[in-house]
Amino acid sequence: MPTAPSIELRNETYLEHHLRPALFIPELKSKKKSAALEEMVAHLAQHQVARQADALLEVLRQREALGSTGIGKGIAVPHARSTMVAERAVLLARSSKGVEFDAVDESPVHLFFLIVAPLTEKDPIYLQMLAQIVRSVRLAPVRRKILEAPDFAAIRTLIGAQVGNE
Amino acid sequence: MSSQLEALVALQDLDMMIREAKDPERATQEEELGFPLSGVEKLERTRERLAKQIDERLLQTYERMSRRYVRVVVAVAGRVCLGCFMGLPTAAKRKAEAGTVENCENCGRILYRL
Repeated sequence: MPTAPSIELRNETYLEHHLRPALFIPELKSKKKSAALEEMVAHLAQHQVARQADALLEVLRQREALGSTGIGKGIAVPHARSTMVAERAVLLARSSKGVEFDAVDESPVHLFFLIVAPLTEKDPIYLQMLAQIVRSVRLAPVRRKILEAPDFAAIRTLIGAQVGNE
Repeated sequence: MSSQLEALVALQDLDMMIREAKDPERATQEEELGFPLSGVEKLERTRERLAKQIDERLLQTYERMSRRYVRVVVAVAGRVCLGCFMGLPTAAKRKAEAGTVENCENCGRILYRL
């Protein structure tokens, strides 16, 4: 029989749990990589996720220098852990026209999942969320539905169904 | 936050990223998910440049303490060090306001206030 702490941990690993309506940008204004990151970080700062927007932006840019988080098929998952992040969070953003993001397949990015987390020694949930995002958008019909979804609630349901089917 | 503290925070974040990218287990996990990690050398060059912007004594303190702690630069919440979770004396705040870099009297970590 599972104990109470393990149930709590399981709940917390759900990507769904970290998707918040306030951290949703239905249509990014930016068309270039640097500006898109800046726009998303400004949104996080506006919602008190980032203590200092400039510092978080810099760490995300460094993460991109390590290797592009544009994983192809119109998806990017920029992610970093930073001293200047107060809590683990996922920002979801869409771009109907696409953003030039140096993706591995060189295609423009239409769907962003930006993950940030505080700097701690180990954060297994952070990696699990990364894996859940990658798996939840691996199917083309799911990606299309997310891009066409009328609102955040519909996207959350779609992603929840994918994570739940794992 | 002073420019020296900002540079230290950036250095700490960068160090964690480099450490994880060099950790074979962690790097494999990310690469298997489709995230290439080919730019470690680029990050190391950035680190060198950043370190040069930091006062030598402060940098030495950071380097020495980073052998003990993963997080050397930590926030203060209320009057509590978020590294060791011990309370700080009121005098510590006055010292910080005077523009000097503040250390936790209990664990020695470098503190920042927001």
